[in-house]
Amino acid sequence: MIIQFLFIGLPYAAIAAVVIGTYYRLTRKEYTVSSLSSQFLESKYLKWGSVPWHLGILVIFVGHLVPFLLPDLWADLVKHRSILIALEAAGFVAGVMCVLGLVVLIIRRIITSTLQLVTKPLDFVVYVLLLSQILLGLVTAYSYRYGSVWAPGTVYAYLFSVLRLSPDMTYVQDMPFVIQAHIALAWVILMLIPFTRLIHMFSIPLEYLFRLPQKVVWTNEVRWNRRSERAQYMESRRYFFRGVAGVTGAAGLLSFGVLEKSGHYFQGQTLDDAKEAALLEKRLKRMKLTTEEKSYELERLKNEAIYIADLKELQPATGKYFIDYEMRPALAFRDAKGLPNLLSAKCTHLGCTVGKDVDGQGRIVCPCHVSYFDIHTGVPQAGSPTEIPLEHLAWHVRASDGTIVAHGAPDGTVATTAAYDAAKSETYKVFIIKSKGVTVA
Amino acid sequence: MDVRSHVSMVFHLDKCIGCHTCSVACKNIWTDRQGAEYMWWNNVETKPGTGYPGKWEDQKKFKGGWKKDGDELKLNSQNKSDYFFKLFYNPNQPTLEDYYEPWTYQYKDLFDAPAGDDQPTAIPVSQITGEYIDIKKGPNWDDDLSGSPEYAANDVNLDSLTPQERSQLLEIERLAMFYLPRICNHCANPSCVAACPSGAIYKRGEDGIVLVNQQTCRGWRACVTACPYKKVYYNWKTGKSEKCILCYPRLETGQAPACFHSCVGRIRYFGVLLYDADRVKEAMSVSEHNLVESQRRIFLDPFDPEVVAKAKANGITQEIIDAAQKSPVYKYVVKWKMALPLHVEYRTMPMLFYVPPLLPVLGKSTNDVYANSLDGTEFSAMLDNARIPLKYLASLFSAGNEETIREIMKKMLAVRAVKRSEQLREELNEPTKRMVKETGLTPEEIQDIYHLTALSTFNERFVIPETRREQAIEEMIDPEFCKGNCGLGFNEMPPKIS
Repeated sequence: MIIQFLFIGLPYAAIAAVVIGTYYRLTRKEYTVSSLSSQFLESKYLKWGSVPWHLGILVIFVGHLVPFLLPDLWADLVKHRSILIALEAAGFVAGVMCVLGLVVLIIRRIITSTLQLVTKPLDFVVYVLLLSQILLGLVTAYSYRYGSVWAPGTVYAYLFSVLRLSPDMTYVQDMPFVIQAHIALAWVILMLIPFTRLIHMFSIPLEYLFRLPQKVVWTNEVRWNRRSERAQYMESRRYFFRGVAGVTGAAGLLSFGVLEKSGHYFQGQTLDDAKEAALLEKRLKRMKLTTEEKSYELERLKNEAIYIADLKELQPATGKYFIDYEMRPALAFRDAKGLPNLLSAKCTHLGCTVGKDVDGQGRIVCPCHVSYFDIHTGVPQAGSPTEIPLEHLAWHVRASDGTIVAHGAPDGTVATTAAYDAAKSETYKVFIIKSKGVTVA
Repeated sequence: MDVRSHVSMVFHLDKCIGCHTCSVACKNIWTDRQGAEYMWWNNVETKPGTGYPGKWEDQKKFKGGWKKDGDELKLNSQNKSDYFFKLFYNPNQPTLEDYYEPWTYQYKDLFDAPAGDDQPTAIPVSQITGEYIDIKKGPNWDDDLSGSPEYAANDVNLDSLTPQERSQLLEIERLAMFYLPRICNHCANPSCVAACPSGAIYKRGEDGIVLVNQQTCRGWRACVTACPYKKVYYNWKTGKSEKCILCYPRLETGQAPACFHSCVGRIRYFGVLLYDADRVKEAMSVSEHNLVESQRRIFLDPFDPEVVAKAKANGITQEIIDAAQKSPVYKYVVKWKMALPLHVEYRTMPMLFYVPPLLPVLGKSTNDVYANSLDGTEFSAMLDNARIPLKYLASLFSAGNEETIREIMKKMLAVRAVKRSEQLREELNEPTKRMVKETGLTPEEIQDIYHLTALSTFNERFVIPETRREQAIEEMIDPEFCKGNCGLGFNEMPPKIS
């Protein structure tokens, strides 16, 4: 229950708080937006606290943000062991800088009497939370090493699931306590941003890069609209720069994606051991199947004749499917004389299996592109997609004692021998025979 | 030509008596609040001396103002590549120690103390922490302390003097000093505006007053460092920067700023100057030697019909042009060339000008004979032997150009000599006549200078343009809306003081 709250309830509470609270504070309480610098009251320790803290936290922030925004790039980077170790080491050093800076900042607040005037209880709450968070992060980095590798698939997957509004905490619910605490605390700190001095992170003055050195404001609205051409030019230039920066950024990101994909294409697939093993196994299985099939075929080819059906099973209007020597489908009918009529059922158009039912005009139809074939001649009806007739197969009919009583050739000719006795046809069996050189004398 | 009007000021140092009435008037109106106790938007310094905050003129330490880099002007304190890192910690920002820890006295003890053998005393307590403090520093701690090794001897401007001149200046028999009242210069090329990362500081187009928008100020403190005069202050309670607002609410109702109004020595003059905004940067990019002259050339003649036409085309009202024509500042700065900006080498183009002090005029005793310099002595020799060397004044007012100071001194001596001879009904002697001629002043001008310096009335000293009612703030927001806050441009009370 507590787990659900920490990983599903808390995140949405935090996101709602930070969005609504920040909007409210930046628009309605703009006057209070600042970090309330205390350098004026105490400067010496600040240098050793604020500078390492801010530099460290910026490095860590980027290190947490890049795998979130550019997971593919990140995966490519941490694939190389040297880069992975460099990144982890940089993050760890930055974390240590943060801790040292924070400790200096906290001690400075406590020992300087003037600073206590500008310190609110919430400031200490923030200090303690930040310090705990950084320490948890350091413990994670140390004892569950190479988070740059495992986090994208777990923690970031969870984060994405939260942002997609289908929170899936299975990614994180079985994680060690330290990591869970790090995640939960991150939501708490996020939630506190609009209510504490942390709000100052939303007022980073990047605007300064794009402005004229001097700023003139006219109380007179008419005059303001007629401010110097140069000011207007600079203003439009600023907007232009901003636009160009935005477009270049977007284009950069896009082309980065495209380039990455093309890079992958030319580089070919890169598989790890497990994937490669799985692929090989699949291939092996397929090859096994193929050889099995082939062996059946070979076995068939060894037989001079292959039994298809009893003659009595064959009907004139409904064909019986069977497999010929080449493992292709074929159809067996009984003709008017009571003898078998064997046709290949592989359509000569595109190789579909032709239907077994004979229509009123003595035709079977291929369902794919509607080719009608005459079952006696095998010739397709004019207008069908194909003009090549279906082949007849060579066959013979044996009596129960094994004597051959009738046979047919691939050209469709049929003959009966002297032993043929229509009355005994109930016991006759139909075989296909190797067609090469078979003729009916 | 982009004609703009600028409210500007002249302080006549010859008349300043160092009474601090201006500072007190300002403090009572604007900075009598928690967080602002240490601020003196107006302060008066004794020169030679280190001033407030201590050694503010030492730009090696505080990095204020502009520096010339080829044809470009660049801020000393930051640039666009390192400003971001200075948000975390600004290495050159002055701290409370550089100013002083403000204090008050426990006056209540004087009344509440139980009867005893000793006189009750009012013990000093810090206005910041409320604890007892041992006062070691104040905003005018070196008042009248010329010659003191701790204060006068550390004056940054003494660096321009030779060791011999320095030791002479600090000799007890030769001690001399003058007062330097300072407020925000409302510069035409302000470095605080250029440094503000949030874009909260701005110049008002109509009159050039530099203001901090308290609503958008984020307390990055870059302006405090960038202002070479250290006239932007950080309010530790609100986390915002504040500065002299030239009492714009008073100006808008036709009254002189409080420090002007209350000036006992009547040293302050207030008026409008017209200037060409297009040429400001160019004028501030010349070599140090020529800075004073190049700043003078920016100012436009308000009687020139072409200037008037262009000013009107630029939205400057007839009232402002009338004020510019009557401006005492125009006379001192442009017409008579007697007033100079303070530390023009910071290249911010200050709009507050000082008439340098002609002190002590009269000579010294040589061979136990007191020699009155006006009795036929060559004036140039007299100026060379002035108790405060011209070099020192030059490092304050003309970026080291002694000639500029000398010319002004001559003019002041000429006025004095002429008026003295008038009073005594004497003929001018030959050297004096020569000097008056050298100054190039006409007799009428001499009378004008005398009149404006010595006899001018309130309305001659403060020529404040009438505000157009249709442009007044009441037209845009409800004036009652601002009631109860300190008039610094924010419409919200600071957080309650705990």
